[in-house]
Amino acid sequence: MRARILAAIPAVLLVLVSLWETVAARHDATSVPDDAAWAHAAQLVRAQHQPGDLIVFAPGWVDPVGRLHLGDLIPVEMAARMDAARYGRIWELSIRGAEAPEVAGLAPVLSQDVDGVMVRRFERAPAVVLSDVFATQPGLVAEVGFEPHRCIQLVPSPGRPATVTVPMTLGSRLVGYAGLADVFTRRDIRAPGTLAVQIGGREVARVTPGVDDGWVRFDAPTTPGAADVTFIASADAPQRQICFAAEARQ
Amino acid sequence: MSTRITRLVGCALVVLTIVVVMVNQRDVGIARDETVYMGAGARYWHWFMHPAAIEPTWGGPLGGGNNPEHPPFVKELEGISHAAFSGVLGEVAAYRLPSAVLHGACVGLVFWMTLSLWGFAEAVIAALCLLLLPRALFHAGLAAFDAPIMTLWFATVVAYWRCIGPGRQAKPGDLHPRGRKWPWQVGVAWGLALATKHTALLLPFALGVHYVFLAWRAKKPLVHWRVAASLAVLGPLVLYALWPLLWTAPIAHVSAWLKFHTHHVHYNFEYLGTNWNHPRFPWHVALVTTLFTVPTATLAAAVAGAGVWIARRGTVDRDRAPVLLLALSAAASIGPFFLGSTPIFGAEKHWMPVLPTICIAAGVGAVWAARRFAAAFAKVPERVAIIAVGACIALAGTTEVVTAHPYALTWYSALAGGSPGGADLGMNRQFWGVAAKGVLPFLRSQPPGLVYAHDASPAWGWYIKDGLLPGGDGDAGHETEGIARSKYAIVIHEKHFNRHDYLIWSAYRTTQPVFVLRADGVPVVSVYRRP
Repeated sequence: MRARILAAIPAVLLVLVSLWETVAARHDATSVPDDAAWAHAAQLVRAQHQPGDLIVFAPGWVDPVGRLHLGDLIPVEMAARMDAARYGRIWELSIRGAEAPEVAGLAPVLSQDVDGVMVRRFERAPAVVLSDVFATQPGLVAEVGFEPHRCIQLVPSPGRPATVTVPMTLGSRLVGYAGLADVFTRRDIRAPGTLAVQIGGREVARVTPGVDDGWVRFDAPTTPGAADVTFIASADAPQRQICFAAEARQ
Repeated sequence: MSTRITRLVGCALVVLTIVVVMVNQRDVGIARDETVYMGAGARYWHWFMHPAAIEPTWGGPLGGGNNPEHPPFVKELEGISHAAFSGVLGEVAAYRLPSAVLHGACVGLVFWMTLSLWGFAEAVIAALCLLLLPRALFHAGLAAFDAPIMTLWFATVVAYWRCIGPGRQAKPGDLHPRGRKWPWQVGVAWGLALATKHTALLLPFALGVHYVFLAWRAKKPLVHWRVAASLAVLGPLVLYALWPLLWTAPIAHVSAWLKFHTHHVHYNFEYLGTNWNHPRFPWHVALVTTLFTVPTATLAAAVAGAGVWIARRGTVDRDRAPVLLLALSAAASIGPFFLGSTPIFGAEKHWMPVLPTICIAAGVGAVWAARRFAAAFAKVPERVAIIAVGACIALAGTTEVVTAHPYALTWYSALAGGSPGGADLGMNRQFWGVAAKGVLPFLRSQPPGLVYAHDASPAWGWYIKDGLLPGGDGDAGHETEGIARSKYAIVIHEKHFNRHDYLIWSAYRTTQPVFVLRADGVPVVSVYRRP
């Protein structure tokens, strides 16, 4: 009998794998919540939404669907934010058990499953932003690390740094990010770029984002008060589109 | 089973494959590269009908409209097919017909070789496994080279195997058959492969190792010298004859052709969540991608078949060692992608010649498993066991094919969790802009206006010509200037195309698309409308 069972195993396994695949393929294809589910979830958000609430979606690939239903509550500046610290209320709409990085470590004050779309709201004390680098220039929305970021872009020539000075009202910290914009120049030119930050002629931060580093954070202690903050972009290679943003936080 | 019936079954599988491909392709959008190949094919055919100077039609810059960086055989077939069948099939389908026919031929060759070496049941299951590969079926429906090179690669393997066979001059009991006296078939087949795609240059690695093995075993270095001579002489001659560009400066053009591909730019390609556009690439790209793009049931049967081949090595057509040949063919096709330096864009389409080996192994494994089962349970007739196992494998493949259609580049097998699982894993979403066809009905429902189509831009004129879009929905142009002119903008979702979203947000001052096309819930194309 044992020999017969052993002899049967390969065929039984093949049949089971085949039947599993037949069922699983159709199940997978219908496992993602549809527009009706998203519309219901969006209703829940809209009912309690307050101006300035951040709305995020997880996993990242479902972001277009989320914006289809709630994009009118997500202005370009919010979608292309430097980071999420200035937002005290965050809505997360997620599927498939995913979690947005913006809410990692936070506990939800609201959590509701709406037809497969998990709606959660998080509340926390936001960072108090006294000023940012966009006071004198609007910046642009660039792709850095395949994500949108509103930033000021400097393109230094090799050996000739590019500089911009921004008058800011400083708090206790200057928090910023820098990265290399444009996937194609990152592909073709592999050298990193450098951003140095000076306040009153003294360097307070320096980051050197490479082509695969994305949006790199810097954080420097500052003395509260008005000051000119100088950002110096440099690179040994041409076409380094160094994008940066920074906020003075209390 | 009579020879007549087996032939009929083989022919039926070939015809079925061609029909399935041609029906399947109707819903598939036009790939960016297809537009180049179709245009070149039409010009090539016109040149043959109205001979003129070679350079204006066949030459020009590599990467230009005449497509001199790719040899012409399939494009020539496309031009002929378009001239003959566009009135019946329509423009695009006529260009795609040769690829479909060649895919049918591949199924036929797999059936034939498997039938010759193992048996009817193995042959039918192997052929069905090849027919029911979602990605291969997709590529076979495009006017491109990937399905054709699989066919012509495998045709060369089959021709080689036939040509080293006993031939008519063999004597009974001859331990080391001398092979065919005039083995022209293998040289011609390889020449056609060379005239289809440069990857045919990898084939001699497989055939060479196999040849050396046979020579070593026979202790005769020149055991099949005619086959080697056929490859060395007829292969290049066929390439030369089919490619008028080589008639002018053969060495310079061949050199430029090969240099183009050995220095090819690395297109962006997402794999396991990372956008890759520069070596070194992960060594396991080909392995994981194959695991996720061949139906799991087929792979399981292939694993069983490979086990059978190893356990029974040397028992099938020992003189010609066909299992070794199939293994070497697969290795030569997929092996370069383990090096970490070979471009990974396009993924499985670039190692499609591995598929016949996998499918033949699947046929052998499925029948072996069914026979073991029937032998253990006498009440179960062997035929019933084989049909049951084969039908289950075919059912799984059919389900995957239906699920994948028409966005097969977004599809991943149940092993990956389907399209959503592939997205979760960060597997490449798509390429070539084919999915844009899916948003045309939405755009038709809107007031007319120029469309920023980015990767689908080369196909836009074809869609308008086909009546799928009104003339007022023309292509707005490229990048920021195109967006500035546009009333609508689409984003074909690939990781490195996120930048198009951001360009559109900045211009339209909204992050909200008005339509999101999805494949099994996974976004493939977003449409924005200027507020």
